[in-house]
Amino acid sequence: MSGQSLRTGPSATWDFAAARYLIGCAAHKAPPGLAERLEEEWLADLTSRRGAFSRILFGLGCCWATRVIAREFGAAAAVAGSSASGQRLLVGDGGRDFSRFSRRTTAFLAIVCLHVAAFYAYMSGFARSVVTTAPGWIDEIPLAPHPRTPQTPPPLPPPNLAHNFVPNLPAPDLPLRFPADPTVITVFHSSRPTVALPPVKHIKRVVGGPGAGFPDTEDYYPPAIRRLDETGAAVVSVCVDPRGRLTAAPSIVESSGVGQLDEGALRLATAGSGHYRPTMENGRPVSACFDFRIRFQLEDQ
Amino acid sequence: MGKRDGDVRISLQTLRALEAFLENPSDELSGADVQKRSGLASGTLYPILLRLESAGWFVSRWEAIDPASAGRPRRRLYRLTPSGLARASELFASFGRGVPA
Repeated sequence: MSGQSLRTGPSATWDFAAARYLIGCAAHKAPPGLAERLEEEWLADLTSRRGAFSRILFGLGCCWATRVIAREFGAAAAVAGSSASGQRLLVGDGGRDFSRFSRRTTAFLAIVCLHVAAFYAYMSGFARSVVTTAPGWIDEIPLAPHPRTPQTPPPLPPPNLAHNFVPNLPAPDLPLRFPADPTVITVFHSSRPTVALPPVKHIKRVVGGPGAGFPDTEDYYPPAIRRLDETGAAVVSVCVDPRGRLTAAPSIVESSGVGQLDEGALRLATAGSGHYRPTMENGRPVSACFDFRIRFQLEDQ
Repeated sequence: MGKRDGDVRISLQTLRALEAFLENPSDELSGADVQKRSGLASGTLYPILLRLESAGWFVSRWEAIDPASAGRPRRRLYRLTPSGLARASELFASFGRGVPA
């Protein structure tokens, strides 16, 4: 019957053929007494399914059903009603229920177990070991030999011996003898184990400050502060070039404690640009930053 | 996992399959019909049908058609037995739902 029934029905579509194949496989794994009956029954029910997904799902469900049926009924199953007589199904081990869990429960337990396993693997460092061993797999991938072209560095330009370069270096302690040929230098090792460093040069430095023509403090004394007989001193930092001009805006290093006095000190320091005495190093003016104190006090004090 | 009635394990899926028959107990339903009414997957439904049949709740027969002339296989039709109907009614009564109309 099954062979004839397999050739009937709307079997033109691929999904129907696939579902029919699944049903055939499932039926062959069913208990012998039930195989033909289940196959014909499932093929008949398959014709009522609409849609490729529904048919494939039905075939997969039949595979699962076979597993459950085989476990429950086993080889002792016998069918008295496989014909059209409509008798009852006789099963030697009828009624015994070996399935402890439903399919949904089994799937849920499987998912839980997978999560637990993944979490354990993650916590136990398995993931890290996989990552560390991964490069080994990559190394085993055969690669096509790639012809390597020797890369030689570009030739250095010939030394320009005609250029008369005289380095401004201190005299070396090593006894050097320069032969007549300037391209060959012969170094004679000294018997002294260490090379002494050249002596450190001491630079004579004179820090700059307000110079001639610097504005008078009285002109920048805030009047309101003067009326209150407030006095104070602020330390201002300025950066001055060799010509005594500011190279940056002055800033308060140490406040006088009165905001208006600090502002007056900054205005005074700004107005004094060009009248600063630059910092001197070895007698030469250089650009430098320095601090100086501006004191605001009453004339009678 | 479920209540036992005699030798049959009564699960929620079993109740849904029975409920499909109790809509009209005299109806003969194929597996596809029960599936439409109950929404059960085939992998769940057919073991239940076989289980209930082997326990005497159902009887089944082949559809009286000629597959060659009909162009399709015969359906297996299931029907509640009188004892199966009584036990199913008791079962639904015990759950406080009563027999579905």
